[in-house]
Amino acid sequence: MKNSKTILTVALAALAILALACTSNTGDDIPEIERKTHSLNKAIMCPVCPGESIDQSQNPLAVSMRSIVAEKLTDGWTGDQIKDFFVERYGPSVLLEPPREGISLAAWVLPPMAVVVAIFAVFIGLRWMRRTTAIPSAVTSETTVLTLDEQESYFRRIEAALDLDDTPDDPSLPS
Amino acid sequence: MIVESGQLALVLALLATGYAVVASVMGVARRSPELVMSGRYGFYSTVILLLVATAALVHAFVTNDFSVRYVAENSSLSMPKAYTWVALYAGNAGSMLFLAIIFSAFALVAVGTIRKRLPYTAPYATAIMAMVLLFLLAVMVFLANPLSRLDVVPLDGQGINPLLVHFGMFIHPPVQMTGLIVVAIPFSIAMGALLAGKGGNDEWVDLGRTWGMIAWLILTLGLLLGSWWAYTILGWGGYWAWDPVENSALMPWLAMTAFVHSIMVQKRRGMFRMWNMVIIIIGFTLAQLGMFINRGGPVPSVHSFAQSAMGWIFLGFMAFTLVASIAVFVSKVDTLKSRGRLESMLSRESAFLAQNIAFLAVAFVTLWGTVFPIFSETASDVTITVGQPFFNLVNGPLLLFIVFLMGVGPLLPWRRATMGSLIRALRIPLAAAGVIGLIFMIVGPRQPVATVAFMTCAMVLAGIGHEWVRGTQSRHRKGENYAKAFIMLLSANRPRYGGYVVHISIIMLAAGAIGSSFYSVQRDLVMSPGDTETIGEYTFTYTGTTHQSHPDREEDYAQFEVYSGDTYLGEMEPFRAVYPDFRIASTRGAIHSTPIEDFYIVPSDFSDGGQAVFRVLINPMVWWMWASGPIMILGTLLALAPRREPSPATLRVPAGMRPAGV
Repeated sequence: MKNSKTILTVALAALAILALACTSNTGDDIPEIERKTHSLNKAIMCPVCPGESIDQSQNPLAVSMRSIVAEKLTDGWTGDQIKDFFVERYGPSVLLEPPREGISLAAWVLPPMAVVVAIFAVFIGLRWMRRTTAIPSAVTSETTVLTLDEQESYFRRIEAALDLDDTPDDPSLPS
Repeated sequence: MIVESGQLALVLALLATGYAVVASVMGVARRSPELVMSGRYGFYSTVILLLVATAALVHAFVTNDFSVRYVAENSSLSMPKAYTWVALYAGNAGSMLFLAIIFSAFALVAVGTIRKRLPYTAPYATAIMAMVLLFLLAVMVFLANPLSRLDVVPLDGQGINPLLVHFGMFIHPPVQMTGLIVVAIPFSIAMGALLAGKGGNDEWVDLGRTWGMIAWLILTLGLLLGSWWAYTILGWGGYWAWDPVENSALMPWLAMTAFVHSIMVQKRRGMFRMWNMVIIIIGFTLAQLGMFINRGGPVPSVHSFAQSAMGWIFLGFMAFTLVASIAVFVSKVDTLKSRGRLESMLSRESAFLAQNIAFLAVAFVTLWGTVFPIFSETASDVTITVGQPFFNLVNGPLLLFIVFLMGVGPLLPWRRATMGSLIRALRIPLAAAGVIGLIFMIVGPRQPVATVAFMTCAMVLAGIGHEWVRGTQSRHRKGENYAKAFIMLLSANRPRYGGYVVHISIIMLAAGAIGSSFYSVQRDLVMSPGDTETIGEYTFTYTGTTHQSHPDREEDYAQFEVYSGDTYLGEMEPFRAVYPDFRIASTRGAIHSTPIEDFYIVPSDFSDGGQAVFRVLINPMVWWMWASGPIMILGTLLALAPRREPSPATLRVPAGMRPAGV
């Protein structure tokens, strides 16, 4: 057991070092205004390119929109003001994120609702499954009824013998 | 002559496939093995006829026969003949032929395996696969014939779309298309079994699982290759944009991942019979939806190079198969009652169910986000864009939850687990997660979401690592040396350990995605020759541009000298090509890639005098995403490898033992 813990600790340490090396760039050395420009560019769509943000697209219009964003940021506009500027000219579809109002609210509201419904469905489904049995079991008076734990231990021994058991051994169960 | 033979072959293939459908079905109805066999042979002959048609098309390309419309539209005299491969599937009609020949080849193998092991299911499965082929052939013969001739023969063709002329395009589209159409095979097996009245008998599960995993693997490779291509050639430094066509390829993948897991529950415990039918129907429907959106759906996308109104026909066929599947399912639902019973909410079975629901939730969110623009346009006249921020925000946590389940699921026993036993099994994985979390909180840059994500990955890896180490050691104690113990461990339980290898590759993929999504750093810089700039620890000097003229394009190569700290890394040469005839500019970034991070330069605009705008990126851990591909292939092959026949085992139990509920 000790051996395996050492191996795993060493592996974990190596993993941690690797992960830290990879994530060492903070981008703190990049001027604030460049970073703001990037995050805005990623939120604005290129109106003439199918499905690309102005950050992604190489289209000349996208390029000029990027320089407009940079210019306005230098002039002191806020991100929201710049977004509104583009929405006035191109409509709300120029924003990559659907606005959180009006009909677009449906875009945001439906997924969490769906997840809640799904979780609900899982619970109902599990409980329904627990109640349904296809084959009725006949227990006659000559049979011995075992407790659930005893049944479990026999199942495990059977499955182990058949090489089907694939879970770690649980020392707490009777064997 | 050759073209005409090809056209004839297509018509004959249509007839042969039609015959295969009719003969298989009638053969079952009349209990006539001869009729079933002749239907099968009709199917086999379709494969040969499709080969003839494909050969005719290839010949037309190679001989520059511009009288054939498809050749004129997709090649030119100056096109190197090696690109014929890409041209075969670059356009609509050609890609139909490609789909047909590839699917028929896979289906040929499938029919061969099915008919030996599932004699009652085989005629139905063959008929369903033949129906898919029938659809493709009907579209080709009546609507989009790849071998149809033009009345006026042009002197030169239009040439091939320059974006396709990249190594990635030689493999991504064919692999992706193959993945989508091969989903029809596990679908045919499942539906065939259901139609044959074998829904309650789990004999189809082995082959269903095998072909489900094959379809899954091909779909995964298609997605990986597409991301890799986007990353290397599109020049914006990213690999996934939640673009409608990307989403349409992702959705069937999500369903198939759910399927290959839930099918294990049916194999092991005879449960989830109805659920598996539902999942495979969803998977096949989504695959067809994928083919529809790819061919020019109503949602705009960067992928729209094979645009046509043909897409709607695919939608029609998808509606047909969906309605038919539901009808069959409903009529045979009584045969699908489970054999086993769910005994506890805390068990492997419920973990699989939760995972399946989570995958379907991601698919739903993705579908919703993809079609919402259409919905909002019809409902309110305002077109809304749903882009990356939406998908990342909603799908991100769901996907992380799935990764979490990947760590907990294998630790749960079948039937029931106690909370105590689960916590005991989770000790080491949670400890590993805790250590990683602590280290990141103290030393790393503050990114709480990424930290949680890395912790989850560490949890999964620690669980797998612990089991491998323990398993190897217990074999070693019985006398094998460590190397042999490890190999025998993997080989003795191939589905399980193959699954572990695939999970490891998924963690590699996830790590790459987390690293590059949260820790990537970008600058857009205007540089003149001689300028030096820095980003992170990289220093790069723009030394100049060379220009190359070609008959179809103008290319500008920018040279950079790059240092990491004080180490000279070498010269990097990104370039930009402009194709005046197609009005397309294509950029190719220069990438210096290590397992730690990618340093990436791509040019976006050249002015006179050599001044240019460059995008420079540090993308951490992207290497791991591409490296995950080969590992995933190995894991899947291991999981699919046939096992030796199990030997009988005996165990004494008390007389009269009869536990309730079995």
